[in-house]
Amino acid sequence: MSVAAVHPGGIADHIHPEPQGFVRRYVFSLDHKIIGIQYIITAFVFFMLSGLLAEVIRTQLLNPNGGFVSSDTYNEVYSVHGSAMVWLVIIPLLTGGFGNLVFPLQIGARDVAFPWLNMLSFWIFPVSGLMLFASFLMGAPTAGWMEYPPVSLQGAAGTSMWCAAIFLVGVSSTMTGINFVVTILKMRAPGMTFTRMPLFCWGQFATAPLLMIATTALAAALAALFIEREFGVPFYDPTKGGSPVMWQHMFWFYSHPAVYIMILPAFGIISEVLPTFSRKPIFGYKLIAFSSMAIALAGFMVWAHHMFTSGLAPFLQLPFMILTFVIGVPTGIKIFSWTATLFGGKIHFSTAMLFALGFIGLFTLGGITGIFLAAIPFDLHVHGTYFIVAHLHYVLVGGSLMGVFAGMYYWFPKMSGRLLNETLGKWHFWLFFLGFNGTFIPMHWLGMLGMPREVATYDPQFAFWNRFESVASYLMAFSILLFFVNVLWSIRNGKRSGPNPWGGRTLEWQIPSPPHYYNFKHIPTVYGLPYDFAQPLPYKGLDEELTDSPPAVAAGAH
Amino acid sequence: MVEHKAQPAGLSGGFWTVTAILTALSIAAIVFWSIFPLEKYLPAAIITARQVDLLFRFMAASGSALWIFVAGYLLYFSIAFRARATDPPDAIGLQVHDNHKLEFWWTVIPALFVVLLSIVSVRIWYQVMLEPENGIVVQAIGHQFYFSFRYPQINGEVTDEMHLPRDVPVTLNLTSADVIHGFWVPAMRLKNDTVPGLVTTIKFTPIRDGRYPIICTQFCGVLHSEMDKQYLVIEEKPAFDAWFKKWQEKNAHASNALPSAGGGAVALQGGNASAGKALFAQKCSACHKVAPFSQTLVGPGLAGVLHDPSHPNLVNNQPATPQNVAGILQNGFTGSMGTMPNATANGLSRQDIANLVAFLDSLK
Ligand code: HEC
Ligand code: HEM
Ligand SMILES: [Cu+2]
Ligand SMILES: [Cu+2]
Repeated sequence: MSVAAVHPGGIADHIHPEPQGFVRRYVFSLDHKIIGIQYIITAFVFFMLSGLLAEVIRTQLLNPNGGFVSSDTYNEVYSVHGSAMVWLVIIPLLTGGFGNLVFPLQIGARDVAFPWLNMLSFWIFPVSGLMLFASFLMGAPTAGWMEYPPVSLQGAAGTSMWCAAIFLVGVSSTMTGINFVVTILKMRAPGMTFTRMPLFCWGQFATAPLLMIATTALAAALAALFIEREFGVPFYDPTKGGSPVMWQHMFWFYSHPAVYIMILPAFGIISEVLPTFSRKPIFGYKLIAFSSMAIALAGFMVWAHHMFTSGLAPFLQLPFMILTFVIGVPTGIKIFSWTATLFGGKIHFSTAMLFALGFIGLFTLGGITGIFLAAIPFDLHVHGTYFIVAHLHYVLVGGSLMGVFAGMYYWFPKMSGRLLNETLGKWHFWLFFLGFNGTFIPMHWLGMLGMPREVATYDPQFAFWNRFESVASYLMAFSILLFFVNVLWSIRNGKRSGPNPWGGRTLEWQIPSPPHYYNFKHIPTVYGLPYDFAQPLPYKGLDEELTDSPPAVAAGAH
Repeated sequence: MVEHKAQPAGLSGGFWTVTAILTALSIAAIVFWSIFPLEKYLPAAIITARQVDLLFRFMAASGSALWIFVAGYLLYFSIAFRARATDPPDAIGLQVHDNHKLEFWWTVIPALFVVLLSIVSVRIWYQVMLEPENGIVVQAIGHQFYFSFRYPQINGEVTDEMHLPRDVPVTLNLTSADVIHGFWVPAMRLKNDTVPGLVTTIKFTPIRDGRYPIICTQFCGVLHSEMDKQYLVIEEKPAFDAWFKKWQEKNAHASNALPSAGGGAVALQGGNASAGKALFAQKCSACHKVAPFSQTLVGPGLAGVLHDPSHPNLVNNQPATPQNVAGILQNGFTGSMGTMPNATANGLSRQDIANLVAFLDSLK
């Protein structure tokens, strides 16, 4: 029996009984918070593995003629490193992980719209991750994360495994996208209008349609590659009438939006951390929210900026160049708004805040080199070189990953009820910041001077800076080790955080840490934007959340 | 909930001092990028390389200025507005939500900059695209794992360095015999992919003598890293002519290896060997040489396919008869070397096959 009530928003407000038993609670859980944590843990395990691969890459590149691993192994290593970091680490962390964990709480919902689908999305993810890593057993893919045919048609058997793994993880992403769109459209608490929604939710709301729509293009491309490799149907092989450039179109029609999948949620995290730690409303709320949507939409129209050297008709390339420049404008607006948020604040330098500030500086640099790359004449010089590697790591590591770390320090108390150690956290930040810049800044000039990407050996004239980068990358790896130590230590010994250690004003901070499985005893009603520090909290109906009283709606069997 | 008083904070003197410092730093960066001797580190071998450098200078200067302002204010605000030990624990910042004038300007100024950048980029792009075509035409072909070059009036392929005369416009056609490669000469600030089944063109005019590395920029297989060992040599016309002559002589032999058409047994009814020879050059030579079996490109050399005693069987283990060769042309075959495309993929009619077999049969 479920006791259902309908609250003013018109949504059936019932509470499912808390599942009993370890398996239903922590393994096959339907609870968005547990699923979020499952995503985060799994993704960090894959992060450790692909981080190890990154150090293999850097160790190989200590010497111009390599020698640490064979060329073939090296190619496998960087291909799996890139694929895993994109599909098994950054995307799951930012969408399935923090998305699941935080945004239903922030909109005042009891769960996502489709909990079973959510559980399925999650469980596909570790399976596909294991498949990707298992491809090492049968000869992993070697043609990078982009796997351009025809060379990927020649790849070892593991390349087909790669197709299957990425296809599956894409299915999982698509389902997550559907789930999040419906949840945000349908399950906001009463009064939680779109213009009162926290910016992290806006980030997820802009990302979810990208997950839903773009990923299907990737799925089609992967299915075709798999079929061609296994059954010889010639989609891409030009000697049999296929078109290798078609893969590039389909791949980038997904993968350019995918770079926004990997950054919009991080923008959301930064937009939560900044106001909390400067004790100020976010500057230009509407423009930040609107620019996320604009970026997501325009993100579908620029994919060919990755293909300026692929033999497209020259005049087709121009609109892609100009539209890519145009995307710089909403991105710039966000950066300016975040910077202005600090003005006149009372800034508290928690580790989360340090990562958010680092994010702004480094992401801005990556965004600027992105604009460089959109300018066709310059791209014709640096496409396929280490300059690209520098750009993508500034946006993905300096941007997305710094966002993830900011989110971890910020929401870890909400997950666990304990704070991460701030001293270790600050060491983590500073060493990471140094190591990161040391690893990736020199790649800009290495690329411009003639070092191509995806090479196991290189011209000895580049030896000095490559060694420098490798040493810096060990520093970065060490800082991440500190982070893992911090998490493992704090989960048992961290200071108890209480419900709201940071003075956060969004809804998730108004309930206990960790929250009850039903999140809210009463679904609150929302009266305004969360970021007005001078005003009382804009919520009604939260009075009992931190007391011992039972939830308003009795739990019953469903 | 305690009501807080927002402390008043206008734009203090500190803000304007910092703004002045950041402006000075930005100007320094702009000057730096304007005079930085790029060509000392990477010579400019063609005319448009200087244009690309100019575009880079423009973007690097404006990008640095932008970054200096963002990072500078970030740092300044973080320090100036840090919470102090003397602040009450519930102190809050200035409660501003937005400022329409500011937001207007920081939308409009970047938008105007985008217009400017588009104009600059399109102009330079035009210069790169619209180089003259009235000079020499060369073809570069990507292979796993080297580039080969074809010149008019040199038979066969040039396989080590690519030579070009200085000050003569070049039209370079790019294609590939196998997978996608990238043809990049850093000193030219220019590259394009070599895509199998597609011919793409870049045009340029060399202006500086020298020996510049040619580098592959698309992953193309296990030895991709080794595809940086060939050079583009730009030299005076007389030196180029001497080089050209040397290859003409060296490769004269390569062309003589193609036997003259006609004669020979007609294996399949109505096959015409000279029509077959033309077809072969068009459809097969990217993968096959007219040379002994062991001289492979993508597929084996075909000079002795029907008349070489040391090669009694075809790759599909059938005896080397005209009928069986026709069978391979019709149906294709995938073996240890790779894939021989079938008649549909190669675009061969029955008559074409007959002609090709006649041609192959004429090779002794
Ligand atoms: C895309 C490259 C490609 C093209 C184009 C191509 N071939 Fe082949 N061909 C191959 C490969 C690879 C093989 C060997 C297959 C194997 O054994 O793995 C082959 C095998 C053959 C053989 C059998 C050789 C032997 O010794 O048994 C013949 C005959 C042949 N090709 C003729 C042709 C003709 C005629 C054409 C032009 C219409 C042509 N091929 C076009 C790749 C190609
Ligand atoms: C202002 C924003 C940005 C612009 C204008 C921009 C532009 C570009 C361009 C033109 C390229 C193609 C370069 C080439 O291959 O020749 C590129 C590559 C890339 N960008 Fe961005 N970018 C931006 C932001 C981002 C963000 C936010 C991310 C991810 C978080 C990202 C990730 C990547 C990646 C991964 C590649 C390399 C793909 C590859 O070849 O492997 N970019 N970018
Ligand atoms: Cu892109
Ligand atoms: Cu290559």
